[in-house]
Amino acid sequence: MTPLRRQIAAGDGAHPILGDLDAEALRSGGLADGFGSDARVALCLRDPVQLVRAIAALDGRVEAMLLLSHALAPDTVAVLIERAGMDRLISDRDDLGGAEPVGALFGADRDEGDVPTRWLMTTSGTTGIPKIVPHTLASLSRSVLRLTAGAAPVWGLLYDPTRFAGMQVTLQALIGGGTLVPVDTGAPLAAQVAELACAGVTHLSATPTLWRRLLMVPGVRDLPLRQVTLGGEIVDSATLRTLRAAFPAARITHIYASTEAGVGFSVTDEQAGFPASYLEAAPGGVRMKCVDDILWLRPPVGAEGPVDAEGYISSGDRIRIEGDRALFLGRENGMMNIGGVKVYPEAVEAVVQDVPGVALVQVSGKKSPVTGALVMARVQLEDGADPQAVKRAIIDTCRARLEREAVPAIVRFVDGFTTNAAGKLVRTKGV
Amino acid sequence: MTQELEADIRCVFAEVWTQDHATEVPALEPDTVLLDTGLDSLGFAIFVSSLDEALGFDPFTLSEDAFYPQTFAEFVAFYERYRPKG
Repeated sequence: MTPLRRQIAAGDGAHPILGDLDAEALRSGGLADGFGSDARVALCLRDPVQLVRAIAALDGRVEAMLLLSHALAPDTVAVLIERAGMDRLISDRDDLGGAEPVGALFGADRDEGDVPTRWLMTTSGTTGIPKIVPHTLASLSRSVLRLTAGAAPVWGLLYDPTRFAGMQVTLQALIGGGTLVPVDTGAPLAAQVAELACAGVTHLSATPTLWRRLLMVPGVRDLPLRQVTLGGEIVDSATLRTLRAAFPAARITHIYASTEAGVGFSVTDEQAGFPASYLEAAPGGVRMKCVDDILWLRPPVGAEGPVDAEGYISSGDRIRIEGDRALFLGRENGMMNIGGVKVYPEAVEAVVQDVPGVALVQVSGKKSPVTGALVMARVQLEDGADPQAVKRAIIDTCRARLEREAVPAIVRFVDGFTTNAAGKLVRTKGV
Repeated sequence: MTQELEADIRCVFAEVWTQDHATEVPALEPDTVLLDTGLDSLGFAIFVSSLDEALGFDPFTLSEDAFYPQTFAEFVAFYERYRPKG
C-alpha cells in the first residue's frame, strides 16, 4: 500500500490543500525520532489542519494510529486508548492526562517508511463507549475518485474528520485533488453557510437532516455547488427533490456506508432507496444480498467483524423490494436514528419504566420530515395515575438520565399492549 | 382562517420552546428566519411533530413541492396551503 503522503494529489499548485498546508508540505513532512515502526499513536486533535498533517506524517511509518474525536470526554479517551493498546497520545487539548503536544510528532522532512499502518476508527454511537473499528488507508480510500479534468473541487467539511464520513471527505480532497474547507460546526448555521460561500465551496457532504436544515437558511441556494452528497441516514425522495430544485447545477449522490463495511455503494438517480438490480451486480466492487429482509454486504477489501461463510457482513438494515427498487425500512434491532444520533428503544424504555405511575411502556420511532425519526413512547398508566403529571415526570426523568435525542418527543397514553406467547411486548418495527 | 392557524402555530411554538429553554419565547415577526430563533434540528422536528398532533396534518410530509419555508410568514403560508379544506 502506498502511504498517504505519496498519494497526495498535486492540485493546481496555486492553492493550499487545507489552511496553509500545500501538497509539498504534506508529502515531505517527517516524523520525529522516537516514533518507530512499532509505535501505536492516538490522535485527539481539535485543529483539522494539525490532524491532516499528523495522519500524513504517521501513515506508512507506525504500526497503528487511533483517531479520536476531539469531542470525546477525557474518561472515554482514556478507555479507548487502553482498549486499542496505544502507547502515545498526541493532543491539542489540555484536559487529557499523558498527552504530548502536536509539535512532538513532527520531525525533519523526509520520505522514508513503508509500513502498513492500521487506521483505528471509532463508531459514532453516542451511548456508551464507541466501538473501535480497524481500517487501512486502502479500505478507507476505496471509493475516492482521482479527478483528472475540470476545475479542482472545494470541499466543505461539515463532519468530524476522525469519523468515517468526515474521513471520506478529507481523503477525497487529499488524494482526489482539491481544497478542504473545515467549517466551525459550533457556529450558528447561517454563519456556517456564509463560511462555505466565502470559501467558494463547490462540493458538500452532509446527512439528510443537516441538508434539510441547510435548505432553510436564506442564501444557501447561492452556493455554487457542483456536488451534493448525502449519507448517514435514510434518504427520502422529498429531500432529493428539494435539493435538485435548490442546486440545479449539482450532481446529487447518496452514499450508503457504515464504519464497519466501509462505503457500500452510491446512488445518483435521485430516487429514494437503490436499484434492486444492485443485489445482482452492484457498482464499485461490493457484493450485496438480501437475507430475511436484511441487507448483507461483501466489500472488496474485506469486512471487519463477524462475516458469514461467503464473507458477507450484515448491515442490520431492513429493506423491502418494490418493483425494481429496494427501499430502506429501518434497523433490524429497532435502533432509531434521530437526526444522526443512534437511540435504542430498550434504553429509553428502561428509564421510562422507572417513573412512578407508569405500568408499561413501549418506545418506537415516529417518522419525522426533519430528523428522519423522533422518539415516541406509548405508555399504559397505573390505575388512578394522572396522565399530565406522569407525562411531565417521564420527560423530566428522561432529560436527567438520557441524551437529548433519546427523550421522548411524543408521549401517548394507551389502554393496553399486545404481548406475545413469551409475555414480551410485541415490538412494532421502528422507522 | 389564516389568523386562527397562525395563532395555533404561535401557541405550539411557545410550548415547544418552553419545554427546552429557560429563556423567554422569541418574538415571531413575519420576516423572522425560523432557524435564527434558536430552535435546532431536534427542536424544529419536535415543533413540526407537535403541530401535526395539534392540527392533524403535516405539510412537510404532504408537500410535493421542492420548497422549505425560511421565514415565519412563509411557514404559516405553507401550513395554510396544505390545511385540509372543508
